[in-house]
Amino acid sequence: MPLEIQIHKSLGPKDAGAVTVKLSGSLDTATAPELERQLAPVLAGPVRDLVYDLAGLKFISSAGLRVFAAARKQLKERGGQASFVNMQPQIQEVFEIIKALPGVAIFKDIAELDRYLAARQRAHQQNP
Amino acid sequence: MRLELKATPEEVMRAVEALQALGQEHQIPEKALFALSLALEESASNIVSYALRADPGRTFSVSFECAGGIATIELRDDGPPFDPTQAPAPEGPASDDRPPGGWGIQLVRRYMDEILYRRESGENVLRLTKRIPSRAIEQ
Repeated sequence: MPLEIQIHKSLGPKDAGAVTVKLSGSLDTATAPELERQLAPVLAGPVRDLVYDLAGLKFISSAGLRVFAAARKQLKERGGQASFVNMQPQIQEVFEIIKALPGVAIFKDIAELDRYLAARQRAHQQNP
Repeated sequence: MRLELKATPEEVMRAVEALQALGQEHQIPEKALFALSLALEESASNIVSYALRADPGRTFSVSFECAGGIATIELRDDGPPFDPTQAPAPEGPASDDRPPGGWGIQLVRRYMDEILYRRESGENVLRLTKRIPSRAIEQ
């Protein structure tokens, strides 16, 4: 099963600087290098927040988790973070077993993520 | 079913796809099929990367069997002796400072009911088994 990668830079005021990475299909030993290649220029930019939308992701292995972990490390070094939305139960179980990504935020859906980002934005405006 | 595979990531996924087709044929429930696919992906990837050093000129084999409510995957490679069942489990949760080398075997252990390793005629033989809940039990 191939992996489809859609990278979308958000321009909205609420989550400016956030990049959404939508993944569908299978993130595995054969497809993980392609995700790594496509994330490299994104991470080289000023991005602080990366949102992975995993609604269409059917399969993940440790090769995929390693790409997420490496990206998360880079974001953390600049005070940013990675969030995950729309994770299917079998994918979430793999995350839970490995505990590979301590401190990442996992949200049920986009609405929950939006509420979180809005709250963080307000907090940031109050305490810049 | 038995497949002879080149030591590349694409061939690992060809084996996973063959397993999934077979699993659907045998009506293995989706959750169990995900577990088997993941265990095969991780075990075969380890063979490709470490035992065969990602040399596409080398090959390994995978065979599947599903009978009596037990699914079995057997992997064979002619790399140096390596017993993944003896690999130490990573301690504690992963962190940025610890290389994530042991994640694959950790997943295999968690998703399979039994992992058996033996060295036979110059080959590593890894046998993974999982009990498959029948549809009747599931409902």
